[in-house]
Amino acid sequence: MNDQDLVELMSGKAQAVQTVVRLCAHWDEVVTYTLDLTASQGGSSVAPWGLPDQARDRLIQGAAHKGLRVLDPPFRRHLEQIHTALTPVDWGVAETGTLVLDSTSEDLRLATMLSETHVAVLPKERLRRSSFDVAEAMKAWHMDPPRYVAFISGASRTADIERVLTIGVHGPQHLHLLILKEADA
Amino acid sequence: MTTHTPHDIKTYRQRLRHALDNAFLRQTLDTFAAAYRESRAKAFEGIDLESLIDDIARRKASALPRLEELFAQFKARAEAAGAVVHSAKTAQEANELIAAIARENGVRKIIKSKSMTAEETFLNAHLERHGFHVTETDLGEWIIQLRREGPSHMVLPAIHLSRHQVAELFEKVTGEKQNPDDIEQMVKVARRTLRRAYLEADMGISGANFAVAESGTLGLVTNEGNGRLVTTLPRVHVALVGYDKLVPDLETALTILKALPRNATGQIISTYVTWITGAVPCDASLSGRKILHIIFLDNGRLQLAKDPVFSQALQCVRCGACANVCPIYRLVGGHNYGHVYIGAIGLILTAFYHGTENARALVMNCLNCQSCKAVCPAGIDLPYLIKNAVRHVLDQEGRRPIKNVVLAKVLKDRKLFHFLLRRASLVQKPLAGKAPLIRHLPLFFDKAHGFRSLPVIQAVPLRDRWERLQPQVSDPAMRVTLFGGCLTDFVYPEQAEAALPILADHGVAVDYPMAQTCCGLPALMAAEKETARDVALQNVRAVDVDQTDWILTLCASCGSHMKENYPKLLGDDPVWGQRVRAFAEKVIDFSSFLKDVLKVSSDAFMPSHEKTAYHAPCHLCRGLKVVEAPRDLLKTAGLDYVPSRDEDVCCGFGGSYSLEFPEISAELLKRKLDAVESAGARMLVTDCPGCVLQLRGGADKQARSFRVCHIAEAVARAYRGKTDEALKFL
Ligand code: SF4
Ligand code: SF4
Repeated sequence: MNDQDLVELMSGKAQAVQTVVRLCAHWDEVVTYTLDLTASQGGSSVAPWGLPDQARDRLIQGAAHKGLRVLDPPFRRHLEQIHTALTPVDWGVAETGTLVLDSTSEDLRLATMLSETHVAVLPKERLRRSSFDVAEAMKAWHMDPPRYVAFISGASRTADIERVLTIGVHGPQHLHLLILKEADA
Repeated sequence: MTTHTPHDIKTYRQRLRHALDNAFLRQTLDTFAAAYRESRAKAFEGIDLESLIDDIARRKASALPRLEELFAQFKARAEAAGAVVHSAKTAQEANELIAAIARENGVRKIIKSKSMTAEETFLNAHLERHGFHVTETDLGEWIIQLRREGPSHMVLPAIHLSRHQVAELFEKVTGEKQNPDDIEQMVKVARRTLRRAYLEADMGISGANFAVAESGTLGLVTNEGNGRLVTTLPRVHVALVGYDKLVPDLETALTILKALPRNATGQIISTYVTWITGAVPCDASLSGRKILHIIFLDNGRLQLAKDPVFSQALQCVRCGACANVCPIYRLVGGHNYGHVYIGAIGLILTAFYHGTENARALVMNCLNCQSCKAVCPAGIDLPYLIKNAVRHVLDQEGRRPIKNVVLAKVLKDRKLFHFLLRRASLVQKPLAGKAPLIRHLPLFFDKAHGFRSLPVIQAVPLRDRWERLQPQVSDPAMRVTLFGGCLTDFVYPEQAEAALPILADHGVAVDYPMAQTCCGLPALMAAEKETARDVALQNVRAVDVDQTDWILTLCASCGSHMKENYPKLLGDDPVWGQRVRAFAEKVIDFSSFLKDVLKVSSDAFMPSHEKTAYHAPCHLCRGLKVVEAPRDLLKTAGLDYVPSRDEDVCCGFGGSYSLEFPEISAELLKRKLDAVESAGARMLVTDCPGCVLQLRGGADKQARSFRVCHIAEAVARAYRGKTDEALKFL
């Protein structure tokens, strides 16, 4: 399966579980997308984690323009204030539309769990076909504890009332996946 | 939370009758069953399901003898990573341990994510008794916690409730008016209310789907994301995990994960899968790291793991599917089809985890329809284990019902058995034996259960007609042994008789060995395994396996029992094992024989285009896995096959089941007949005399507009003999 097929498979499977998928050429585009999205949802804050320095700087500048807050860790101080979490992810699993995040950092966990919207950034070269293709990497994490590794496939959901599918019960109500073409740009 | 599982059949039957009146529940579970079937099939598209099931079964089975070793490995790994790992012998011990951990850490408020293991130990009740405030966070679990009920499904705990009931409940909790039709809004109410609980909690309790020994990693599979919050926000995390969740490595966990969500909810993966290794950073804790305790619950598992038969039950991955597809669950719901664990696996585990008194009535409530077995991703032979569990309960309680004693005594002696049947036929009454002993034999039915009319025992059974009937075939193309079984031999010999000319025409020489007897399934159903073995051997000895090409039967139940259970019962026998396996291999059903072996051609039939519905017997479509042959055969015979709803759902016969639980049997029968009628069929065809008995009896009693017959009769009626054209191919 070539890169293009993988991206297509990933997009299809992710969209099937209500993940919004975009291709981004570089981090600048990611930042702009995140700020626009947050503003359009009426959110007031972005909690970034693990961004390259330059992207983080751009985010802070852009947020100031739009009147949005960029939250600083520790996020324990902002438990009820996180609108958008912006984080990279370690792997993508195309077959199931899954994002794999080493979420050992508590800040990363809080941001991705308590936000209304999670914008996840996946460098294209970190896309694999099946979970078995990332098993080695996962094992390496597990063997170097403590670790908290998350598979995320879509937005939080429930079907507990009359089996009606409802999005956003405990975790983020929106998941946006930005597939980054050039990771270092 | 309390569960009130009836301890005797009489009370249980009252409960079931009550449940049958719950129209909402029936409608919900019906819709669910149909939706589940479809979404499951879709989720497994492109996956070789059979090999996946084999793989999971093999991996789980090979872990079972090593559970203690895997535990030690897990413990060493997890403790090196900052966790504390405990082992609890009993439910009580686990609950006390958790309460002690809570006390030690000055905990007051606790949040929980869904855990069947915590349901098993009645953990919430224990913690509440000790003054802790516990909040369930899975939406369904929260709802039933507020109602003080147990789950009615292992994956969808509140499936028995309507939106109106939930709205009413939420009004009470929030003091605000709720719109039952705005489910999204109600989910928001839960989101808001439970957010507070997360933020205030000092301790989170979770279960785990996997405990990966090689790295000391817990794996949690959830959709709502509550498991992530429960394991992240509070400073203390306690995971309560059954020993059976131990797997050696990540590959095993990932393999199970491939099937679990697909089989549970028809999702290709659940929204969140969380892997936790050791005590992760946690700012809420003084040390800056999570206080993590992992408790492995034994509660009988380690003993069970050593049992040659029941250890298979520990392969369960808790997908809940065995309930989804069970026709009885569909009628009565999980509160009447399990104690804590629900569905087929619940029938088995209750005896081991929650005492024989709670299993006593419950474990009897199985039709042996094989539906659960056909969907189990862990390859568990659930109906077989259920029958073994019946015996286990009887043995534990030192009981042996009179019917079992009679059955064993009579079936062991074929001549006595057949003598009794012949004598009964003299009375020329329906199969409603009055004599107290006879009533317990296969074929005898208590006339109190008058929801269907019953046939009579024939004065001249097939075996007595054989000399006259046996077709003379010169220079036969093959030799076939006809296996009658009780119903064909003594009640419906005409079904076999109808088949003979077609066989003779195709150059098939047929033998009917007189030493054959009941196939033994009724004995196995009554948990009389020794008798079942004994009877199986009688049949194997009656047939000269080397001299016969096929063992043909018109009874799907006999067929699947002989093919699948004979090797299980006797396959390892040093003297007979090989012959039993050879015997089993030659067993074939009527439709497959005509379609696949004789390859009958449509030229040989006079098309009538009669609209014909088909009932797929459990033991044919799932037992023998014969699906297309009978439908093809109907078409070949010039009948207009019309599909009908739930064709492969049990007709409710289940042998003696229909006597034990007549209300359920009658309801299943009624649904079946309704479906056929609404398909507009003039004839209902099936290929098992047991199903014929049930369906024809019901159609007659309810004066339905179609007749019921065995496929051999339907096909024979349309047969006009082989044309020369067809002969050329022989
Ligand atoms: S027994 Fe099989 S089908 Fe039933 S819950 Fe367990 S794994 Fe699922
Ligand atoms: S065999 Fe049929 S009736 Fe028995 S538990 Fe399984 S699905 Fe239910």
